[in-house]
This record gives sequence, C-alpha cells and structure tokens, in this order.
Amino acid sequence: MRGGFPVEAAVQPRVRLEVTLRRVLGPDYRMGFLFVAPIVVLVLALVAYPFCYAVYLSMTRKYVGMAPVWVGFENYVRLTYDGFFQRAAINSFIFTFASVGIKLVLGMGMALVLTSKIRFRSFWTGVLLIPWVAPTVVSALNFLWIFDYSLGVLNYLLVNVFGVLNRGVGWLSEPNTAMSSVIGVNVWRGFPFFGISFLAGMKAIPGELYEAAAVDGATVAQRFRYVTIPGIRNIMMIVILLSTIWTFNDFAIIYILTKGGPGGATMVLPVLTYEIAFGAQRLGEAIAVALYMLPPLAFVIIVLSNYMRKGRIR
Amino acid sequence: MDTRLKHLAEQLDAGLIARREFLRKAAVITGGTAAGLHALRGMAPAQAKTKLRVWLFKSFVTAGNDVVAKQVEAWGKEKNVEVEMDWATFGDREQKFVAAIEAGNPPDMAEMNIYGPMRYKAALRDVGKVATDLAKAKGGLLPFAERAMQSDGKFLGVGRYSMTTVFFIRKDIMEAKGLKVPKVYDPDVVEFAKKAQDPAKDLFGFGQTLNRSDDGDGFMSNILWDYGGGVWDKDGKPALGTSFLKQNTAALQFAVDTIKKHGIQPPGVMGWTDVSNNESYMAGKLVTTNNGASLYFAMVSKKHELAAKTLCVLTPGGPAGSFVGSSCYNWAVFQKSQKPELAEDLIRYLEDEKRFAEYMQVSVGQAGPVYKGRADNPYWKSDPNFDAMMQNILRSVNIGYPGPMTPAAAEVQGQKILTDMAGRVVVGGLSPEAALKEAHARIEEIHKIRGKA
Repeated sequence: MRGGFPVEAAVQPRVRLEVTLRRVLGPDYRMGFLFVAPIVVLVLALVAYPFCYAVYLSMTRKYVGMAPVWVGFENYVRLTYDGFFQRAAINSFIFTFASVGIKLVLGMGMALVLTSKIRFRSFWTGVLLIPWVAPTVVSALNFLWIFDYSLGVLNYLLVNVFGVLNRGVGWLSEPNTAMSSVIGVNVWRGFPFFGISFLAGMKAIPGELYEAAAVDGATVAQRFRYVTIPGIRNIMMIVILLSTIWTFNDFAIIYILTKGGPGGATMVLPVLTYEIAFGAQRLGEAIAVALYMLPPLAFVIIVLSNYMRKGRIR
Repeated sequence: MDTRLKHLAEQLDAGLIARREFLRKAAVITGGTAAGLHALRGMAPAQAKTKLRVWLFKSFVTAGNDVVAKQVEAWGKEKNVEVEMDWATFGDREQKFVAAIEAGNPPDMAEMNIYGPMRYKAALRDVGKVATDLAKAKGGLLPFAERAMQSDGKFLGVGRYSMTTVFFIRKDIMEAKGLKVPKVYDPDVVEFAKKAQDPAKDLFGFGQTLNRSDDGDGFMSNILWDYGGGVWDKDGKPALGTSFLKQNTAALQFAVDTIKKHGIQPPGVMGWTDVSNNESYMAGKLVTTNNGASLYFAMVSKKHELAAKTLCVLTPGGPAGSFVGSSCYNWAVFQKSQKPELAEDLIRYLEDEKRFAEYMQVSVGQAGPVYKGRADNPYWKSDPNFDAMMQNILRSVNIGYPGPMTPAAAEVQGQKILTDMAGRVVVGGLSPEAALKEAHARIEEIHKIRGKA
C-alpha cells in the first residue's frame, strides 16, 4: 500500500529523532560532528589507543621481538614488593619535592629582583633564562664534567682557587652528594621558568595595591605576604603543578649524570623504566613501572586542570 | 637500421610508395623512436635500485669505522646495490634495535655485540651457512665465539672480531719505582698501586669504577670468577648468594676494599661512567686501569705522550685464576630482511681476509681474532702491547660461566645487577653478604621469568 498513514508512521520516528538531536546537540550538530571528527580521530589514534595498548602490555610478559603473554597484574604485584623499585619510587619523590621546592624559592627571588629597579634589567632577564633555553642534554653533559672528581671545574675552584676544601668531593659518587647534585642541576635548569612566570604575574598586580598597603603602614614583608602572594597565587599553583609533572618525569639529567647510581642512590622511576625496557628488555614490566607513576601524576593533573578552569571562569 | 625503415626503403626502391610518403613515414618512425628512447632514459633512474639497510657499530676506534664504511660503500657500488648505512654506538644500540624490532622495521643486517644473537634471537635469521663457511675457511671459530654465536643449534651471528680488555700500566712510573707487573689483584695490584700512587698530586694507583657501567660490570664478573665464584653454577642456575656465596663474598669484599680500605682509587670513582677512566688515565691521574684497546688506540692515534709510556698486560687474577669476559662482535641478518642473500654476500665480502686485515690494522689492537686463523696473523706480533690483548682473548669466557650462556645471564649483565650490588656495599652501607643475597634474589627472579619465556 502506498501513500497515506503507513508512510507517515514510518517517517514520524525519524523526524522525532531529528528534532530531539537538534534540541540536545544544537541545530548544526551535523556540521559540529564534521568539525570535531578530525580531532576525535587524532586523540583516539595518538592518545587513547597507545594508552590502552600500554595498559594491556603492562599486563603481559613481553620480550623484544616476541608476542606478549597475558599475566594479569603479575608485573604490578612483583614491582610492589621489589625493593629496588621501592627505592626508585622514594627517590622519585625526594628528587621531585626537593627540586620543586628549591625552584620555587629561587624563582620567587629571581622575580622579586627583576621587578625591582635594577640596571640592565632586560639583560639580566635574558641571562637568567639561559639555563631554561639550553638543551637538557648539553647542560647535563657539562655538569658531568663540572662534577668530575679529578678533572671537574667545581673541585678545582673549591680546592685550588678558593681553598674552601683541602680535598675534592666525589659529587656523583656518594649517595647524598649524588642526589644533591642531580637536584642541583634540575633546579639550575628549571628555576628560570618559575622566575619568569612569577615575574609576569607580579607585573599584572596593580601598583595602587602596593601604594595603598604602604599608606596603611604595611612593611615590605607584609606587602609581599598580603599583596604579591595573593596576586600570583594562581600562577604559582600552575607553575608548581606543571613543574612537579616535568620533574617527576625527568629522565635526561639523572641518566646522563649517574644512570641511577651509585648503588641505585639516584635511581628514579623514569630511569628504572628505561633500564627495564632497554637493559632487561622486558617491555611489559617497564610499562608497568611507567604506569605506576600515573596515579600521583593524574592527581597533580586533575588539581592543575581544576585550577586552570577556575582561572578561565574568573 | 630499424627494420621498419628498411622495409620503407625497400618499398621506395620498388616504387611502391612515393618519396613524400617515405619521408613522412620515416619521420614518424624516427621521431617516435627518439621520443620513446628519451622517455625510457628518463625512467631509468627512477627505477629503484635494490636497497640494503645496514646498521654498523660505531666504536671509539674511528679509523676502523671509516674503513668498514668505505668497504660497505665499495660493495654497494660493485653489486649495484643502494646501501643505506646507519650507526649505533655503545649508548644507543640496544635502544635502536628494540625500537626497530618492535616497530617491525629492523634493518636487513646489523653489527652486534656478543649479546646480540641471544637478545634478539626471536628476530634473527639462521646464518649457519655463511657462518660455517667462513669459520671453515679461517681455521674454525675460537671456543667462546663458537658458543656465543649459536642458540638452540642455530647460528644467529657471524663472528667478526673480539674487543677485549687489558690491564693498562704506566710503564714509566712502574720502572721509576722499581715495581714488577702485578699478576693477581690481591696483594699484587694493591701493593703496586700503593707504592706507585701519590694522592697529594692527584695520582691514584688504580682506577676501576664499580658504578653502573659496562666497565664496572665487566670487572665485577671477572673478579667473582677470579675468586672461584660467579653468578651462575655449571648448570646455569643462580649461585651468587648460595653455592658460591663464600667465594663471592671474598671477591666483593676485595672490590669494595679497593675503594674503602686500601685507598688506591680516586674518591670520585663510584660516579664514573665508561669513559671516565679513559679520561683520567690520559690526563695522567691513574697508574693502572682496566680498559679495552680503544684507550690504546686513542693514545696512539693522537700521538699522546702516554702511548709510549703505557704497558698493556694480562688482566690480573685471584686465588682461582685469571678470568676475562669474552667479546665477539658479529653480523646478524634479520628475519624481516627481503634480501638475506645480499646481506650474506656483504658479510662474505667484509670478512674477506684482505679487507678484514685493512680494518684490523687501523684498529690498533681492538679487532682481535674470533677465528683461529686470524690469531696467527703477524700483526699481533707488531706491537708488544698486542700480546696481552691476544692472550686475554684466547682465555676469555662467556657470561654464564661456568654454566651456559643464557638469556638470563645476558639480562643480569644488561640490568647491571653486579654493579648495583657493589654500590650497595660501597655507598649503601650493606655488608657484602647482605648485598650478595639482595642481588641473588633479583637474579633468581630473572632466572624464573626468563625460564618461562
């Protein structure tokens, strides 16, 4: 039978669906899908698929050139009870928190100095940015030489030029000095980022606020505490969180300077991941180590994105 | 003459076609032929030449690298093969191999170290024919190389050369102090170093890191064997903290004592990498050190003043003898290669005695023999320092000794477990026994996991 009621009955649900879709997704939803599709495909291909595949591989016994064998949570369980892994996890936290803490203090100092009236301010800003701009590998290789016991410039200066020490220090050969040295290099490289970000934040604080505080009798410290810090709080949080993520994932500095030695004293999770992947060639377990870093980093990322969203709403 | 033109000329002669028609048809034929030839000539370069991807090992002996690259290029020219060469060195070769194999895009062939055939056996092709042909022609492989190149009865590598370590001594200081070449580490090397060094002038008697490095790991392997111990028993089972505990404790204690008790090593030695002892030795800050021949090459090629003042001797030993870990650089062909016959042809070309001799001679002792025939080459008598290199190669043993060379043994080396163990005593404050037991637990785990593979 053609025409009349049955055709209308068939068409009606489709029309209803179309109306609902337009209401929920907007009148141009088809065009919207078209525009969004490339980025969705890109994210699926470059983020979601590799991530899901990594999660799968972390639950396998996977050797180079061989097919993965499913082992469930075996890799994670073994790592949890592995003393070497535990030490690497503790070292990662020590390295990250110490580095970020020192960078915060130095960065703040740098920003305060650069906001004050000093001569050649632009020049000093440029100079202080050099560590941040220099490639990590180049910086780390230079520090490898600087820290060398016999041939390094640091011991030479301390012993022969300034006479501070009678004998050089094995900067990279003792656990405490090795950890301090790698933290030092990370700080040297990273504090300009803190400084420049804080500087930008400080410049955005209206001068009237400082004047009003001064009129009310606020000391320099009080102006810093009650005007500067609240004024750059959001920037501070974002910089700290970003730096925490970067520092936690820092590989090059430690790998070049100590390779995690001596005796595992500077072994951190990214270097351990690398060692298990390329030294032991156990890819499944290496990915499990990398994914072990995910919960703390995910926490930091969630806090960071919340802050950034808040900033956008304001 | 083109047959069509000839036919036209005959028709013209016979008066079958007019002169004008002859000219028109002849122009079409010759023009068409010329255009066709031009097009073909244009297409010829576009035709892809056969391509072979070759990964070479970039050693510190740069002159050797240049020679092998030149030889590979000459082979490519001779065989009309486009060779795509790439280099992998100590620090990045494993990463490159792992990435290429996992991406399913390995080269056709590669120059690997002794662990290569074991580590990448799942991705390698059996090269038994070329390996045995070459071995037969060169008097057979030396025992350590014969074992290292095979896995499950298949040859996965074609032996090329052995890069051994020797004991470097400052001959001038030794003679000035009236000292003799040390034969064993304890007490010979200790006494020698104490007498020869002058820490006040930043000159130390012995330079041997126990930090995470190939140098440190090689020394730790050797010293365990020297004291009658080792990581594995003769059946290939972990023995570090069990059946060899007593011997290994003594060996580890000695290694640690060189830093903590005897004071013969520079204070920064636990922070050293593989190049640190080379730099310190060449800077005149060490009297003795263990190193590969590349250090000697560096001094000779740079005409360094210490080249003539250096004596290379056999690696010292311990109560159970003097042991040195083996080395066998080799050629491997990947299963994914579409041109295995070309890769094998290149291997035969490079391993030709004349070409290998050219490589060996510029390598200043680094290209040691893995074939019996090459051990007799007069080159090894041309420098007194070469004798120690040769003798060390001939007595070298494979990882896993006294048991077989296994993937687990290769992984223990790859993970630098022995240097981590030493580091736990030197800087971690553990007793040698506790460190041995801690390392043993890691090795048991590796043995268990690799056993399942």
